[in-house]
Amino acid sequence: MRRFANNAGADLLGRGIIYALAVFSLLILLLPAVIVVMISFDTRSFVSFPPQGFTLDWYRQVFQQDALVDGMVVSLRVGLTVTGLCILLGVPTALVCARGQFRGVGALSLFILVPHMVPGIVLGVAVLFAGADMGIGPSVWLQSIAITAFVMAVMVRTVTSRLQRLDPKLEEAAANLGATPWQALRTVTFPLLLPAVLAGSVFTFVEGFDNVSVAIFTHGFRDRPLPVELIALVSTTNTPLVAAVSGVQILLALLALLAISRTIGLDRVNG
Amino acid sequence: MNVSASSFPLPTPRSRWGSILDKLLSGQGLWPAVPAIVVLIVVAVIPFFLLLSLGFADFRVAQGRIVERSFSLGFVTSALADPLYHVTFQRSLTLALSTMTLCVVLGYPVAYLYLTGGPRIRKLILFLTIVPLLTSGIVRTYAWMVILGARGIVNTALLSLGVIDRPLRIMNTHWAVLIGMVQIHLPVMILPLIAVMSRYDRYLDEASENLGASKLATLWHVILPLSVPAIGAGAGLVFVLSYTTFVVPQLLGGGNYLNAATMIYEQVVYSLEWNRAAVSALLLMLSCLVVLSTIAILTNLFCRWTREAQR
Repeated sequence: MRRFANNAGADLLGRGIIYALAVFSLLILLLPAVIVVMISFDTRSFVSFPPQGFTLDWYRQVFQQDALVDGMVVSLRVGLTVTGLCILLGVPTALVCARGQFRGVGALSLFILVPHMVPGIVLGVAVLFAGADMGIGPSVWLQSIAITAFVMAVMVRTVTSRLQRLDPKLEEAAANLGATPWQALRTVTFPLLLPAVLAGSVFTFVEGFDNVSVAIFTHGFRDRPLPVELIALVSTTNTPLVAAVSGVQILLALLALLAISRTIGLDRVNG
Repeated sequence: MNVSASSFPLPTPRSRWGSILDKLLSGQGLWPAVPAIVVLIVVAVIPFFLLLSLGFADFRVAQGRIVERSFSLGFVTSALADPLYHVTFQRSLTLALSTMTLCVVLGYPVAYLYLTGGPRIRKLILFLTIVPLLTSGIVRTYAWMVILGARGIVNTALLSLGVIDRPLRIMNTHWAVLIGMVQIHLPVMILPLIAVMSRYDRYLDEASENLGASKLATLWHVILPLSVPAIGAGAGLVFVLSYTTFVVPQLLGGGNYLNAATMIYEQVVYSLEWNRAAVSALLLMLSCLVVLSTIAILTNLFCRWTREAQR
């Protein structure tokens, strides 16, 4: 194998470049969050780097701004609705995708995944137009159901892949002990599926809370979700207020991550 | 051995709902998926075909409702001839393709580090890729506004080092949008790569090294060809997301920087040209499909080519 002849120098150099690129990427991933959090404690009332002084004032102001608090409430409602709908609709669908014994199961799985592959902005416009055609105006509900259609695939995929790894003998054992199919599902399968449902829920909730591409077309005109509110705020103000909002969101993301790593482990997130 | 439940007649208390559920579950049929299918048909399939029909219709909108419509090719042909569409779509395409390329170049090394690193490095990489995914895109874009702005980090650093004597204008340029795009979509590239990489048998690595290959040769001849499908999947995802994204060009590109998504937004919300918006959305979707299938075809060709080269 002359092709594989060792050249220690070239090998070291090549790997050095690859590792340097990797470290650079990881730094780029980390940098924005660090900067934003630092800025959010700055005492000056305009955004500049490095910050001078330390204050929690901007965080206090976040919760005093009606528009932001209202936005958070709307986003929270949408996030919870989307997650609830994704669990109710997605978990049974995953059961069919993983266990169904009829022709067309593959087609079904594909059908469920398709809306997630359509650009969010196209789905948002389509839902807005269809709603207008039927006389349904933009609202929290239209936004929630549209985002549900957009992200349900995430829940179905996570739960399906967990189901496929479960040992079918567990349910057989339950059946042999006299459990009916529903009892077996409720007492054996569902508890084992819980981690996957939780992981799916975290992502569907984040999508419901933070989606922009679908939400800008479907949100109610009086119920502006936080992202839409934030876009307006970012383009009109230059105070660390937005940084403080970001700080709150980063903290929430860290808590969600902690929840994931405690329950299913970080490396399971990919399904 | 599958012994049926009835051979052990245990007296289990059952509610009426329970027995209905049992009947429905025992068939292993389609029914549990029906609610989801109905929702997807109502919320995704019907709206999509309506959008398709509106692209080829002359319709009037009054008070947020569609009144009056008639078949017309006018909006499609006028869009195809419109220089604004050409500029906008070309810009979106260039931006998305360069974002995709940069994400592959920056993301692959991270996945390689994941493959070769110990448990601590693996945990760190997962942490650094998942936290941004859970943080709002606006938050991350905002951070880049802070970093790239006239009084941002980049300018402060360059000024104090004496490299430049007045702040560079980075914000509201193509470069600002590109930087933001790459950082925001990098995790989407890294995660599928890691998912595939972590499935690799470490013995594969060792086998190739026992045959005398250096680490770099192993990467080039063994790992890289195996990970081409994952690169294709990640690249496709990054392409779709950055081709259709709204937030980054809106915030980092400034008012005059239109991409396909921001153009659709302006057409729907500000100029109220719903006909044109329907056409734009269709063009966006179609061009997206064309690029995605090209990526898929190239990935397949490459896989076949490497398989034949190894014979």
